[in-house]
Amino acid sequence: MVTVSTDLPEEILNGRKHHGLQGHMLSDRDLAVTDAFGLRNLGPHSGPPSGAEALPVPTTLIIDGSGKVLWVDHSENYQRRSGPEYVLAALETHLD
Amino acid sequence: MAKEHKSKKVGTRLGLLALVVAAATIAVWFRQVGQVALPENRLVFILLFLVAAGLGVGAFVARTRWFGGVAAVLAVGVASFFLFTVSISRQEVAPNGIQVGDTMPRFTALDDQGELFDSKTLEGKPVLMKFFRAHW
Repeated sequence: MVTVSTDLPEEILNGRKHHGLQGHMLSDRDLAVTDAFGLRNLGPHSGPPSGAEALPVPTTLIIDGSGKVLWVDHSENYQRRSGPEYVLAALETHLD
Repeated sequence: MAKEHKSKKVGTRLGLLALVVAAATIAVWFRQVGQVALPENRLVFILLFLVAAGLGVGAFVARTRWFGGVAAVLAVGVASFFLFTVSISRQEVAPNGIQVGDTMPRFTALDDQGELFDSKTLEGKPVLMKFFRAHW
């Protein structure tokens, strides 16, 4: 499990204390990773001023051991995300 | 005089009703967001916020007592803010964005311990990867 956001490492560390998420949580303030994946949101910049010049489109990816992308899900609007059941079903389909 | 008094009563009720509609809609909205269950079609929410804003404006047209006015301003403010967030929520990915069948690009980034993470360490393992907007 890898997460990427524009939060600073200390903000992510704070968040992890609250939700206890396991896995790698990465800081991408300069959007280098977001841009490497081509996931910068080109719509209106709708977040509060946080120091990041843009935000990624909320996206979930399943990638296999060879690095090949098996599944991609984008939010069409940021107020809606892929639900846990939806992601779990995709995981079962692609990683069995 | 009696007529104005009656009108104020109506206006005050409209203002309070506007706030109730706005507050109830927000309560349902946040509940559904928390459950990742906000529908793709947010028309019902949009209509309810428009109703709340309309009632709030109606309160001032009819004239209202001060607390009806406060409620109406809150309702119009909240409803407008949510309608604004809906209007700017559309997300757009570049046409060259990553797709099924592509190979994940190699990347490095700082993790929450401030240490450099290299995507090479993921080799040989299936990965669930999530990009999200931020902690708020």
